[in-house]
Amino acid sequence: MDVTAKPKPRVTPDNRPFWEGCREHVLKLPWCAECGRAFLPPAPVCPRCFGERIEWRAASGRGTVTTFVVVHQPWFPAFADDLPYNAAQVELEEGPRLTTSLVGIADEDIVVGLEVEAEFDDLDGETTLPRFRPRGPGGPRGSSGHAG
Amino acid sequence: MTVISDRAAIAGIGASRFGRHLPESQLALGAAAFRAALEDAGLDRSEVDGLAVNLGWPLGLDYDRIAEAFGLDVRYVNQTWTHGRFVTMALQQAALAVGAGLAEVVACVAVASFTRERDLLGGPGDFEGMREEGGTHAENPPYGLTAPAAGAALAYRRYMSLYGATTDALGEVAVTLRSHALRNPNAVMRKPMTRDDHRASREVVAPLRLFDCCIVSDGAVVVLVTSAERARDLRKPPVFISGMQGIRAGRDEFIFAPPGLGINQQRPGRVTPRPEDGDALRMAGIERGDVDGLYTYDAFTPLVLFVLERFGFCAPGEAHAWVRGGRIALGGALPVNTSGGLMSEAHVSGWNSIAEIVRQLRGEAGERQIAGARYLQWATVWGDSIVFRR
Ligand SMILES: [Zn+2]
Repeated sequence: MDVTAKPKPRVTPDNRPFWEGCREHVLKLPWCAECGRAFLPPAPVCPRCFGERIEWRAASGRGTVTTFVVVHQPWFPAFADDLPYNAAQVELEEGPRLTTSLVGIADEDIVVGLEVEAEFDDLDGETTLPRFRPRGPGGPRGSSGHAG
Repeated sequence: MTVISDRAAIAGIGASRFGRHLPESQLALGAAAFRAALEDAGLDRSEVDGLAVNLGWPLGLDYDRIAEAFGLDVRYVNQTWTHGRFVTMALQQAALAVGAGLAEVVACVAVASFTRERDLLGGPGDFEGMREEGGTHAENPPYGLTAPAAGAALAYRRYMSLYGATTDALGEVAVTLRSHALRNPNAVMRKPMTRDDHRASREVVAPLRLFDCCIVSDGAVVVLVTSAERARDLRKPPVFISGMQGIRAGRDEFIFAPPGLGINQQRPGRVTPRPEDGDALRMAGIERGDVDGLYTYDAFTPLVLFVLERFGFCAPGEAHAWVRGGRIALGGALPVNTSGGLMSEAHVSGWNSIAEIVRQLRGEAGERQIAGARYLQWATVWGDSIVFRR
């Protein structure tokens, strides 16, 4: 593991469609074709009914912040220049929660319950991370809370 | 269900010195604790025929090297890898092994030289979050979440927003546990802490500050488990394992949050305690009100609040207020982690608190003795528990 670079997502046979979707700037979720609900994290079977027919569908990209943190500690040297930076869990309209980070808002303005929508951060030619930005009638506010 | 109740007992405890940047090897710390535990129980090294280890790879010793180095000849082993969530499991498996006749005396060996392994604790060498299914504490390295503290911070932020809790409630926990350590000559942290000290400590991963995170320290604890009959014939009064319940897992569980909080995929609103959260008490044949003190894995201050709620000592959302006024302090209604815990005594993964339970039930805890302690409960936010009695 290269400890000088920011870690990349670990792409697995189960989550590959998620990360491929991100590269196309589409937030995709695994859906169970048996019980008709989306779930996360990606898995080869539905955690509710153990069904094996999993379909990947585009999600709305909309969700709500359920919790967040602001990191001050330089655990990884590669993140030292970003400090402080936020990370959040977002409950998607489809139900599952995703760990991500928020952009377009100052860290001190983030609140639980904030309505957000996905956007995509192309780190390089290979990797795109979904991040979330405040949505709503007021539109985005504040300055970017994330350097990356 | 009561077959195992009171069938196994702790017959001996031993500890190395605790400290930071100790020069001793892990084996040297472990040997010191092992020698002390044998002496405490009045057992010979040759009588230990089982090992239970929860601080193995990647941070601690594996069972085979322990047995080889200490000249043991064991016929039973249980080992997990380094994680606080496996403390209860190691002790429970030791009790079960003794009860089932797989071993006569199982040594639970916990050795930590965390200060030498600093980079592995959420740092650049911590690759746990990069496993195919990631880490346990909501680690998400691409977003810079690489340490367990972030999982506790995610949980406490949500708790704050749901219940109007503040970070000062965490200060109450930290200050209380420090006050316990001040009565413990073996504790690493011996400097008094005030609520202002807590407020002034630097932010690590907001809402958590430095004094919300346990110390990183070195040390070893050995706990000797044997059958109740055997223990009665040994040097010290037995501490019986009266009731137990196992670790909980499923989509409603997140390691650092009570069920229902809504972290990761937890369904919101399913609140504790549920009937199964009382299994260990029922096995021991007691009620929650009979518990004279609570011991828990306090790697981060919010975990203390969450375990109080999970096990029903107060209602969901109440712990942040409930802990005020000295309720969890020595002399309070429910003393918690009376030796100072991971927060202020030492981070021996919780085994230091298991040793403290034994001292308390024997009446050996000196100026921090819980008067008349009869039942003490070990319980964790991830739902497992052991009830001990004298
Ligand atoms: Zn299904």
